[in-house]
Amino acid sequence: MFRTIWSTLVGLLIEDGQLAIGALIALAITWAVANAGGGAAHDFVGWMLLAMVLALVLVNLYRAGVTARARVSSARR
Amino acid sequence: MDPVTLAIHATPAFVASAVEFVEATTIVLAVGVTRGWRAPIFGTVAATVTLAIIIATLGVAIVTIVPELLLKGVVGALLLLFGLRWLRKAVLRFAGIVAIHDEELIYLRELAELRAQGLRRKEFDWIGFLVAYKAVLLEGTEVAFIVIAFGAAGGTALTAATVGAIAAGVFVIALGAALRQPLTMVPENWLKFGVGAMLCSFGVFWFAEALGMTWPGDALSIPLIVVTFLAASWLAVRMLRALLPEGAQVEARRV
Repeated sequence: MFRTIWSTLVGLLIEDGQLAIGALIALAITWAVANAGGGAAHDFVGWMLLAMVLALVLVNLYRAGVTARARVSSARR
Repeated sequence: MDPVTLAIHATPAFVASAVEFVEATTIVLAVGVTRGWRAPIFGTVAATVTLAIIIATLGVAIVTIVPELLLKGVVGALLLLFGLRWLRKAVLRFAGIVAIHDEELIYLRELAELRAQGLRRKEFDWIGFLVAYKAVLLEGTEVAFIVIAFGAAGGTALTAATVGAIAAGVFVIALGAALRQPLTMVPENWLKFGVGAMLCSFGVFWFAEALGMTWPGDALSIPLIVVTFLAASWLAVRMLRALLPEGAQVEARRV
Protein backbone atom coordinates (compact mmCIF):
# COMPACT_ATOMS: atom_id res chain seq x y z
CA MET A 1 0.00 0.00 0.00
CA PHE A 2 2.85 2.38 0.91
CA ARG A 3 4.47 1.67 -2.46
CA THR A 4 1.26 2.76 -4.24
CA ILE A 5 0.97 5.90 -2.11
CA TRP A 6 4.64 6.64 -2.85
CA SER A 7 4.20 6.07 -6.61
CA THR A 8 1.12 8.34 -6.59
CA LEU A 9 3.09 11.09 -4.87
CA VAL A 10 6.04 10.63 -7.23
CA GLY A 11 3.63 10.66 -10.18
CA LEU A 12 1.99 13.80 -8.91
CA LEU A 13 5.15 15.75 -8.14
CA ILE A 14 7.63 14.42 -10.69
CA GLU A 15 5.77 12.82 -13.61
CA ASP A 16 3.20 15.60 -13.76
CA GLY A 17 5.44 18.00 -11.87
CA GLN A 18 4.88 21.03 -14.05
CA LEU A 19 1.11 20.62 -13.85
CA ALA A 20 1.18 20.13 -10.06
CA ILE A 21 3.46 23.13 -9.51
CA GLY A 22 1.33 25.24 -11.86
CA ALA A 23 -1.83 24.24 -9.97
CA LEU A 24 -0.21 25.09 -6.62
CA ILE A 25 0.81 28.51 -7.97
CA ALA A 26 -2.76 29.09 -9.25
CA LEU A 27 -4.14 28.16 -5.82
CA ALA A 28 -1.64 30.49 -4.11
CA ILE A 29 -2.52 33.41 -6.44
CA THR A 30 -6.24 32.81 -5.81
CA TRP A 31 -5.67 32.77 -2.04
CA ALA A 32 -3.57 35.98 -2.23
CA VAL A 33 -6.16 37.80 -4.37
CA ALA A 34 -9.02 36.72 -2.06
CA ASN A 35 -7.14 37.99 0.98
CA ALA A 36 -5.87 41.24 -0.56
CA GLY A 37 -8.98 42.12 -2.54
CA GLY A 38 -11.48 42.07 0.33
CA GLY A 39 -15.19 41.43 -0.17
CA ALA A 40 -15.27 42.39 -3.85
CA ALA A 41 -12.67 39.73 -4.71
CA HIS A 42 -14.85 37.02 -3.19
CA ASP A 43 -17.27 37.38 -6.11
CA PHE A 44 -14.78 36.35 -8.78
CA VAL A 45 -11.88 34.35 -7.23
CA GLY A 46 -13.53 31.05 -8.17
CA TRP A 47 -13.91 32.04 -11.83
CA MET A 48 -10.33 33.34 -11.80
CA LEU A 49 -9.05 30.01 -10.44
CA LEU A 50 -11.09 28.15 -13.06
CA ALA A 51 -9.64 30.28 -15.89
CA MET A 52 -6.06 29.83 -14.63
CA VAL A 53 -6.47 26.05 -14.28
CA LEU A 54 -8.01 25.68 -17.76
CA ALA A 55 -5.17 27.71 -19.31
CA LEU A 56 -2.66 25.60 -17.37
CA VAL A 57 -4.20 22.32 -18.62
CA LEU A 58 -4.21 23.46 -22.25
CA VAL A 59 -0.61 24.75 -22.14
CA ASN A 60 0.62 21.61 -20.36
CA LEU A 61 -1.10 19.30 -22.86
CA TYR A 62 0.14 21.35 -25.80
CA ARG A 63 3.70 20.91 -24.53
CA ALA A 64 3.04 17.16 -24.06
CA GLY A 65 1.82 16.98 -27.66
CA VAL A 66 4.87 18.80 -28.96
CA THR A 67 7.16 16.41 -27.03
CA ALA A 68 5.25 13.39 -28.36
CA ARG A 69 5.45 14.72 -31.93
CA ALA A 70 9.22 15.17 -31.56
CA ARG A 71 9.53 11.55 -30.34
CA VAL A 72 7.50 10.23 -33.25
CA SER A 73 9.57 12.24 -35.71
CA SER A 74 12.89 11.05 -34.27
CA ALA A 75 11.65 7.42 -34.16
CA ARG A 76 10.62 7.53 -37.83
CA ARG A 77 13.95 8.91 -38.93
CA MET B 1 -32.76 15.16 1.19
CA ASP B 2 -33.93 16.95 -1.98
CA PRO B 3 -33.27 15.20 -5.32
CA VAL B 4 -31.00 18.01 -6.64
CA THR B 5 -28.60 17.78 -3.66
CA LEU B 6 -28.65 13.99 -3.92
CA ALA B 7 -27.86 14.11 -7.65
CA ILE B 8 -25.07 16.69 -7.35
CA HIS B 9 -23.21 14.89 -4.55
CA ALA B 10 -24.16 11.25 -5.14
CA THR B 11 -23.59 11.07 -8.94
CA PRO B 12 -19.86 12.00 -8.95
CA ALA B 13 -19.27 9.73 -5.95
CA PHE B 14 -21.12 6.90 -7.77
CA VAL B 15 -19.16 7.29 -11.03
CA ALA B 16 -15.74 7.75 -9.38
CA SER B 17 -16.31 4.87 -6.96
CA ALA B 18 -17.55 2.61 -9.79
CA VAL B 19 -14.19 3.04 -11.56
CA GLU B 20 -12.32 1.98 -8.41
CA PHE B 21 -14.69 -0.94 -7.75
CA VAL B 22 -14.25 -2.20 -11.34
CA GLU B 23 -10.46 -2.28 -10.84
CA ALA B 24 -10.77 -4.16 -7.52
CA THR B 25 -13.33 -6.58 -8.99
CA THR B 26 -10.98 -7.46 -11.86
CA ILE B 27 -8.26 -8.56 -9.41
CA VAL B 28 -10.65 -10.46 -7.12
CA LEU B 29 -12.17 -12.24 -10.14
CA ALA B 30 -8.70 -13.20 -11.40
CA VAL B 31 -7.85 -14.67 -7.97
CA GLY B 32 -11.19 -16.50 -7.72
CA VAL B 33 -10.97 -18.04 -11.19
CA THR B 34 -7.37 -19.25 -10.81
CA ARG B 35 -7.17 -20.20 -7.13
CA GLY B 36 -10.75 -20.78 -5.90
CA TRP B 37 -13.19 -18.41 -4.23
CA ARG B 38 -12.64 -19.03 -0.50
CA ALA B 39 -9.42 -17.02 -0.04
CA PRO B 40 -10.39 -13.98 -2.17
CA ILE B 41 -13.79 -13.75 -0.43
CA PHE B 42 -12.07 -13.80 2.98
CA GLY B 43 -9.56 -11.24 1.66
CA THR B 44 -12.35 -8.97 0.40
CA VAL B 45 -14.27 -9.20 3.69
CA ALA B 46 -11.10 -8.52 5.73
CA ALA B 47 -10.27 -5.48 3.57
CA THR B 48 -13.84 -4.18 3.89
CA VAL B 49 -13.64 -4.46 7.70
CA THR B 50 -10.23 -2.68 7.70
CA LEU B 51 -11.69 0.08 5.53
CA ALA B 52 -14.75 0.46 7.75
CA ILE B 53 -12.42 0.91 10.76
CA ILE B 54 -10.28 3.49 8.90
CA ILE B 55 -13.36 5.47 7.74
CA ALA B 56 -15.10 5.23 11.13
CA THR B 57 -12.06 6.60 12.95
CA LEU B 58 -10.04 8.80 10.59
CA GLY B 59 -12.75 9.86 8.12
CA VAL B 60 -15.39 10.78 10.67
CA ALA B 61 -12.75 12.54 12.81
CA ILE B 62 -11.59 14.62 9.82
CA VAL B 63 -15.11 15.64 8.80
CA THR B 64 -16.31 16.42 12.33
CA ILE B 65 -13.22 17.90 14.04
CA VAL B 66 -11.53 19.94 11.29
CA PRO B 67 -13.25 23.35 10.75
CA GLU B 68 -15.46 23.27 7.64
CA LEU B 69 -13.70 26.05 5.72
CA LEU B 70 -10.22 24.63 6.39
CA LEU B 71 -11.44 21.17 5.34
CA LYS B 72 -12.94 22.56 2.13
CA GLY B 73 -9.71 24.43 1.33
CA VAL B 74 -7.43 21.44 1.88
CA VAL B 75 -9.78 18.94 0.20
CA GLY B 76 -10.36 21.39 -2.68
CA ALA B 77 -6.62 21.77 -3.29
CA LEU B 78 -6.06 17.99 -3.12
CA LEU B 79 -9.02 17.31 -5.42
CA LEU B 80 -7.69 19.77 -7.96
CA LEU B 81 -4.20 18.26 -7.88
CA PHE B 82 -5.44 14.67 -8.25
CA GLY B 83 -8.20 15.62 -10.70
CA LEU B 84 -5.76 17.39 -13.02
CA ARG B 85 -3.60 14.25 -13.05
CA TRP B 86 -6.63 12.09 -14.01
CA LEU B 87 -7.79 14.56 -16.61
CA ARG B 88 -4.34 14.95 -18.19
CA LYS B 89 -3.93 11.16 -18.46
CA ALA B 90 -7.46 10.78 -19.88
CA VAL B 91 -6.82 13.42 -22.56
CA LEU B 92 -3.49 11.78 -23.46
CA ARG B 93 -5.25 8.39 -23.71
CA PHE B 94 -7.97 9.71 -25.99
CA ALA B 95 -5.39 11.49 -28.15
CA GLY B 96 -3.48 8.20 -28.57
CA ILE B 97 -0.37 9.30 -26.68
CA VAL B 98 -0.82 6.95 -23.70
CA ALA B 99 -2.21 3.39 -23.99
CA ILE B 100 -5.94 3.03 -23.25
CA HIS B 101 -6.66 1.35 -19.88
CA ASP B 102 -7.53 -2.25 -20.78
CA GLU B 103 -9.30 -4.23 -18.04
CA GLU B 104 -9.15 -7.45 -20.11
CA LEU B 105 -5.35 -7.16 -20.44
CA ILE B 106 -4.94 -6.45 -16.70
CA TYR B 107 -7.14 -9.50 -15.95
CA LEU B 108 -5.10 -11.80 -18.21
CA ARG B 109 -1.80 -10.51 -16.78
CA GLU B 110 -3.09 -11.12 -13.23
CA LEU B 111 -4.24 -14.65 -14.22
CA ALA B 112 -0.78 -15.51 -15.57
CA GLU B 113 0.98 -14.16 -12.47
CA LEU B 114 -1.34 -16.04 -10.10
CA ARG B 115 -1.00 -19.30 -12.04
CA ALA B 116 2.77 -18.95 -11.92
CA GLN B 117 2.62 -18.76 -8.09
CA GLY B 118 1.32 -22.36 -7.86
CA LEU B 119 -1.34 -23.65 -5.43
CA ARG B 120 -1.24 -26.17 -2.55
CA ARG B 121 -4.73 -27.60 -2.28
CA LYS B 122 -4.61 -28.62 1.43
CA GLU B 123 -3.45 -25.29 2.88
CA PHE B 124 -5.30 -22.00 3.13
CA ASP B 125 -4.40 -19.91 0.07
CA TRP B 126 -2.62 -16.96 1.68
CA ILE B 127 -1.44 -15.62 -1.68
CA GLY B 128 -5.04 -15.41 -2.96
CA PHE B 129 -6.12 -13.86 0.34
CA LEU B 130 -3.38 -11.20 0.30
CA VAL B 131 -3.79 -10.29 -3.38
CA ALA B 132 -7.55 -9.76 -2.93
CA TYR B 133 -7.05 -7.98 0.42
CA LYS B 134 -4.49 -5.59 -1.04
CA ALA B 135 -6.55 -4.82 -4.16
CA VAL B 136 -9.78 -4.15 -2.24
CA LEU B 137 -7.99 -2.12 0.45
CA LEU B 138 -6.12 0.06 -2.05
CA GLU B 139 -9.09 0.76 -4.30
CA GLY B 140 -11.33 1.07 -1.24
CA THR B 141 -9.01 3.70 0.25
CA GLU B 142 -9.48 5.71 -2.93
CA VAL B 143 -13.26 5.29 -2.60
CA ALA B 144 -13.01 6.56 1.01
CA PHE B 145 -11.04 9.59 -0.21
CA ILE B 146 -13.67 10.20 -2.92
CA VAL B 147 -16.52 10.04 -0.38
CA ILE B 148 -14.76 12.43 2.01
CA ALA B 149 -13.87 14.76 -0.88
CA PHE B 150 -17.33 14.91 -2.48
CA GLY B 151 -18.97 15.07 0.92
CA ALA B 152 -16.63 17.74 2.31
CA ALA B 153 -19.58 20.08 2.93
CA GLY B 154 -20.69 17.60 5.60
CA GLY B 155 -24.27 16.70 6.54
CA THR B 156 -26.41 15.87 3.50
CA ALA B 157 -23.47 16.09 1.06
CA LEU B 158 -21.54 13.43 3.02
CA THR B 159 -24.64 11.22 3.24
CA ALA B 160 -25.29 11.61 -0.50
CA ALA B 161 -21.66 10.83 -1.39
CA THR B 162 -21.77 7.74 0.86
CA VAL B 163 -25.03 6.60 -0.77
CA GLY B 164 -23.45 7.07 -4.22
CA ALA B 165 -20.35 5.05 -3.31
CA ILE B 166 -22.35 2.22 -1.71
CA ALA B 167 -24.67 2.08 -4.74
CA ALA B 168 -21.62 1.84 -7.04
CA GLY B 169 -20.15 -0.96 -4.91
CA VAL B 170 -23.40 -2.95 -4.92
CA PHE B 171 -23.85 -2.43 -8.68
CA VAL B 172 -20.29 -3.39 -9.70
CA ILE B 173 -20.00 -6.36 -7.28
CA ALA B 174 -23.41 -7.70 -8.42
CA LEU B 175 -22.35 -7.34 -12.06
CA GLY B 176 -19.00 -9.05 -11.40
CA ALA B 177 -20.64 -11.89 -9.45
CA ALA B 178 -23.23 -12.43 -12.19
CA LEU B 179 -20.79 -12.37 -15.12
CA ARG B 180 -17.63 -13.83 -13.48
CA GLN B 181 -15.44 -12.16 -16.07
CA PRO B 182 -13.70 -8.78 -16.30
CA LEU B 183 -16.15 -5.90 -16.60
CA THR B 184 -14.95 -4.77 -20.01
CA MET B 185 -18.39 -3.46 -20.94
CA VAL B 186 -18.02 -0.69 -18.34
CA PRO B 187 -16.71 2.29 -20.34
CA GLU B 188 -13.86 2.82 -17.87
CA ASN B 189 -11.83 5.24 -20.01
CA TRP B 190 -14.86 7.45 -20.55
CA LEU B 191 -15.70 7.29 -16.86
CA LYS B 192 -12.14 8.28 -15.95
CA PHE B 193 -12.43 11.25 -18.28
CA GLY B 194 -15.62 12.34 -16.53
CA VAL B 195 -14.22 11.65 -13.07
CA GLY B 196 -11.15 13.79 -13.81
CA ALA B 197 -13.40 16.68 -14.83
CA MET B 198 -15.60 16.22 -11.75
CA LEU B 199 -12.64 16.05 -9.34
CA CYS B 200 -11.21 19.27 -10.82
CA SER B 201 -14.63 20.98 -10.68
CA PHE B 202 -15.25 20.09 -7.04
CA GLY B 203 -11.66 21.17 -6.29
CA VAL B 204 -12.21 24.64 -7.78
CA PHE B 205 -15.65 24.89 -6.14
CA TRP B 206 -14.55 23.92 -2.59
CA PHE B 207 -11.33 25.96 -2.68
CA ALA B 208 -13.15 29.15 -3.76
CA GLU B 209 -15.88 28.53 -1.15
CA ALA B 210 -13.19 28.14 1.51
CA LEU B 211 -11.92 31.62 0.53
CA GLY B 212 -15.38 33.10 1.06
CA MET B 213 -16.85 33.00 -2.46
CA THR B 214 -20.56 32.42 -2.89
CA TRP B 215 -21.14 30.70 -6.23
CA PRO B 216 -24.22 31.77 -8.21
CA GLY B 217 -26.84 29.09 -7.56
CA ASP B 218 -24.50 27.53 -4.97
CA ALA B 219 -23.95 23.82 -5.82
CA LEU B 220 -25.84 24.29 -9.09
CA SER B 221 -22.72 25.94 -10.54
CA ILE B 222 -20.84 22.62 -10.24
CA PRO B 223 -22.43 21.10 -13.42
CA LEU B 224 -21.49 24.30 -15.28
CA ILE B 225 -17.85 24.01 -14.11
CA VAL B 226 -17.82 20.30 -15.08
CA VAL B 227 -19.06 21.15 -18.59
CA THR B 228 -16.34 23.83 -18.88
CA PHE B 229 -13.63 21.30 -17.93
CA LEU B 230 -15.07 18.72 -20.36
CA ALA B 231 -15.18 21.29 -23.18
CA ALA B 232 -11.56 22.32 -22.53
CA SER B 233 -10.51 18.65 -22.44
CA TRP B 234 -12.32 17.92 -25.72
CA LEU B 235 -10.50 20.91 -27.21
CA ALA B 236 -7.21 19.54 -25.89
CA VAL B 237 -7.86 16.11 -27.46
CA ARG B 238 -8.57 17.76 -30.83
CA MET B 239 -5.45 19.92 -30.49
CA LEU B 240 -3.24 16.89 -29.69
CA ARG B 241 -4.69 14.83 -32.55
CA ALA B 242 -3.96 17.69 -34.91
CA LEU B 243 -0.41 17.98 -33.56
CA LEU B 244 0.51 14.32 -33.99
CA PRO B 245 1.26 12.83 -37.42
CA GLU B 246 -1.49 10.65 -38.96
CA GLY B 247 -1.68 7.21 -37.30
CA ALA B 248 0.97 7.98 -34.70
CA GLN B 249 0.46 6.09 -31.44
CA VAL B 250 3.03 7.10 -28.89
CA GLU B 251 3.24 5.05 -25.75
CA ALA B 252 5.36 7.26 -23.56
CA ARG B 253 4.65 7.92 -19.92
CA ARG B 254 6.86 10.94 -19.42
CA VAL B 255 5.53 13.31 -22.04
